[in-house]
Amino acid sequence: MKISKGYKIIMYSLLGLFSLYFVLPFVWVILSALKTETEVFSYPPKIFPEVLQWKNFVDAWSSQPFGVYLKNSVIVTVMTTIGQLLSCSLIAYGFARFDFKFKNTLFVLMLATMMIPWDVTMIPLYMEFKMFGWINTLKPLIVPSFFGSAYYIFLLRQFLMGIPKDLESAARIDGANEFQIFYKIFIPIMKAPLILIAVLNMLSVWNDYLGPLIYLQDQSKYTLALGLAAFKGVHDLQILPIMSITLVMIVPPVVIFLFAQKYIVEGISGSVK
Amino acid sequence: MRNITTKKTKSYQLVNRKVPYLFILPWIIGFLVFTLGPLILSLIMSFYNWPITSEPTFVGIDNYKTMFTADPQFYKSIIITLKFAAIFVPLNLAIALILALLITQPLKGMKFFRTIFYLPAVVSGVAISIIWGWIFNSEYGILNYLLSFLGIEGPRWLVDPKWALLTIVIASAWGVGIMMLIFYTNIKGIPAELYEAAAIDGAGPFRQFFSITIPSITPTILFNVITSVIGALQQLTLVLLLTGGGPLKSTYFYGLYVYNNAFKHHQLGYASANAWFMFIVILVLTMLIFKTSSTWVFYENEVKKEGKKGRRKNENIKRI
Amino acid sequence: MKFVEFKSVFFLLIAVMLLLVGCSSSAGEKSDTTKDGKVKLRFATWDVGDDVTLQQDMIDKFNESHDDIEVVLESYGSEYDTKITAGMGAKDAPDIMYMWNYPQYKDALEPLDSYLEKEGDAYKDNFYETLWNYNSADDEILGLPVGYTTHVVYYNKALFDEAGVDYPKSGWSWEDLQDTAKKVANKDSKVSGFAFSGKPDPYDFEMFLWSNGTSYVDKEGNLKGNLNSEKSVEVFEMFQNMAKDGYAITTEGSGTTEMKSGKVAMFVYGAWGLTPLKEAGIDYGVVELPAFKSGKSVSILSSSGISISKNSKHKDEAFEFIKFWTNEDANKERIGFELPVLKSVVESEQLEQDEVKSVFYSMLEQSDGYTPASFIVEDWSKVSENLQYTFESMLNPSTLMNPKEALNSAVE
Repeated sequence: MKISKGYKIIMYSLLGLFSLYFVLPFVWVILSALKTETEVFSYPPKIFPEVLQWKNFVDAWSSQPFGVYLKNSVIVTVMTTIGQLLSCSLIAYGFARFDFKFKNTLFVLMLATMMIPWDVTMIPLYMEFKMFGWINTLKPLIVPSFFGSAYYIFLLRQFLMGIPKDLESAARIDGANEFQIFYKIFIPIMKAPLILIAVLNMLSVWNDYLGPLIYLQDQSKYTLALGLAAFKGVHDLQILPIMSITLVMIVPPVVIFLFAQKYIVEGISGSVK
Repeated sequence: MRNITTKKTKSYQLVNRKVPYLFILPWIIGFLVFTLGPLILSLIMSFYNWPITSEPTFVGIDNYKTMFTADPQFYKSIIITLKFAAIFVPLNLAIALILALLITQPLKGMKFFRTIFYLPAVVSGVAISIIWGWIFNSEYGILNYLLSFLGIEGPRWLVDPKWALLTIVIASAWGVGIMMLIFYTNIKGIPAELYEAAAIDGAGPFRQFFSITIPSITPTILFNVITSVIGALQQLTLVLLLTGGGPLKSTYFYGLYVYNNAFKHHQLGYASANAWFMFIVILVLTMLIFKTSSTWVFYENEVKKEGKKGRRKNENIKRI
Repeated sequence: MKFVEFKSVFFLLIAVMLLLVGCSSSAGEKSDTTKDGKVKLRFATWDVGDDVTLQQDMIDKFNESHDDIEVVLESYGSEYDTKITAGMGAKDAPDIMYMWNYPQYKDALEPLDSYLEKEGDAYKDNFYETLWNYNSADDEILGLPVGYTTHVVYYNKALFDEAGVDYPKSGWSWEDLQDTAKKVANKDSKVSGFAFSGKPDPYDFEMFLWSNGTSYVDKEGNLKGNLNSEKSVEVFEMFQNMAKDGYAITTEGSGTTEMKSGKVAMFVYGAWGLTPLKEAGIDYGVVELPAFKSGKSVSILSSSGISISKNSKHKDEAFEFIKFWTNEDANKERIGFELPVLKSVVESEQLEQDEVKSVFYSMLEQSDGYTPASFIVEDWSKVSENLQYTFESMLNPSTLMNPKEALNSAVE
């Protein structure tokens, strides 16, 4: 297919325009992270730092036990991603590919769990985790993911609904059992949305800060997001550490995204035919 | 009667009745262990006066009565939140879809743009609020400084009640990358043959978009509509950190109202009543969207194969 | 049958999940003792950065000198209140907490009067008297003072020098401040003479009313006739006029961001600004608050104390720790972050001679005998929210409500 020049120009200018909105605040973060305190706040704003302050990163990283935080963040992120992938693929498959009694009721109930305001269930949940002896451990952050999260189940179900029914009918008639159908036929098809879910989950867990704030206590258990928030006091905002740790923290999700892109690009029906 | 049994039901007869429940069992366990208890407890709490630091006392339906009859902020917050949702949800969906379409263009450099659009979604909420606070500061902020070069005196973004809501919309649309990615994954899954066939039929890009792309991604549109409605109605982090509900309570969203009642005023019982009201509202809204969805969402597995044109006309659709 | 095979795989998966849950629950250690049998005390701080590092060092010292107690530091930064509220709700609050908002948390805190009696009068007298009022609620002492700040006027020396204006001096009035601000302000270079919050925290703002001889409420907690009194209206009119006249600006936050830009000549703030402003390269001086014509220069106190949770299982050990935390050495160690609260330390460190710090102490001495409305009014957090809205409506440049009308409708 030939693409006209005018079309190209329109497309690129649109892309450029949106890029400005998305990237400019970001560029400002990068520039700020490399400035001195005086330069950051000066007015009229200094666009470029006189000397690039790479030591801001070193100072920020060494001001708290960020190595420990990193380890905790990685544990939580990896474990929850495994948990979500295992559980959500099963559950979404169950909702999307079968007819059974109470299916709709259960599905609505599941959706409803997305709508519960966090503020009021948080304290009861805290009590429950305390009863389990999980407070000040990473378990409250990890274990629930093994039972699926409504958001990802719903998302995956929407993708699974888009696959023709004949697929498993044929396999059933050939005598394949349900788990084989799920595992051998559907998992490969679902690769793109599963990777998508993995990416989204990593992102939200990596940056989650209210969960760790409520359930963790001493610094040896903190995650990166919590360490980042600890630069913000009631009266004092430590801007340089915040900016540099923010930049450090986005590296892993972006790298993972760059790797995941390849699979997401394949789309879902790539392997259906 | 046997002869009219369709292929579909035949296939289902091969499935053991317990099997579907086995698949969703993890969720059922999780729901019973982690969700049901706190949910019921919060409902019970809504009938108590619970100042958090001391013991709760039973007050019957007083919390609900106060909320509906004696608390003007309750209604104000609802209206502000609905206004925000009405602007934010369609705008966000549109931007996400446009971006997703842009990055599927067969042009060079798409990997780069894809990453750029996704980038802001990666930044943690704490940092986002600080960045935007900086940019939007009306006296010494960057945005108004840049605008001054164009000879424009920028508005007082976070100080003028007329502008504050819009400012929040601008700041929250920054994280649209996730929704874009979801659309993108779906669009990428549309079989290329459909487009090829349409092109042979002489359909231009616009026709192709409306007759192939949109119908094919209706399942994720439904998903994005519902999740962004929920997200908009529960929006808290940004207003909490960026505006604190101001100026003059113009961004005092319902989420912040509940949060403040719970954590600032220590009225956990009252906050529970607030939260349950919103819970019911969102639930009803979601059900409504789902009800209407049967007319515009097309699922491949519920449609007989009749070629792409027959898709819309199919009556054999059972949905929730 | 194949189905059986499938089922077994499936149950295996579920079993693994349950195992995960089961195992982990047994692994949790008992929360109030450590592995080697010491009493474990949780201590929550709201401080951030280097301050926390210092606090950890001090705790390490305490732990080394006590065989039977181990204190564990928890720092929650700006979300401190959310965290301890959640903890209190779930009956799992830290044993020891930093505290300032005593009226709100009083029911969850252990009264310390009986502990203090055992220490004798001399112990109590070494703290500045005013601070005990701020660390009490309902006539019970609920925390030991750790630090405090009064409010002062910070001024940017560079801007004053540029404009050739003398630095402000103690004993000045609000008129003096306005005159000075007008002189230093410069439209062309975007310099503002004075900055104050357009959305002031009502707790802090009450000092201006005190300074003009009134307050939000009377002893019974009535707003009417106090908040909307003539003298109170005067205060708000004055602030509103400053913003209207254009030489002063209202700020979106506390004003530190604006001050750090180097374009604001003066603003009112507590000791929290000392280090951040220095780090931002602002060469500042501080001076006592100005007085109203008929009033005097008074500041509200923002005090921080250290309290024991009512639900703590080891209150005696906790008291041992908070005593350690407020002793002379501790006050000296913290001197870079908090203004010492012990008279003996102020004397030995010669803080009264310190050009900057002495200003905070003289504000402290001239601010004795006032009680903030938050200690009088029940339900202060709600009242405060309404007050803040009213104040904002008067000071926000987009609305600038008439103070008299706004305050009259606020008391209704």
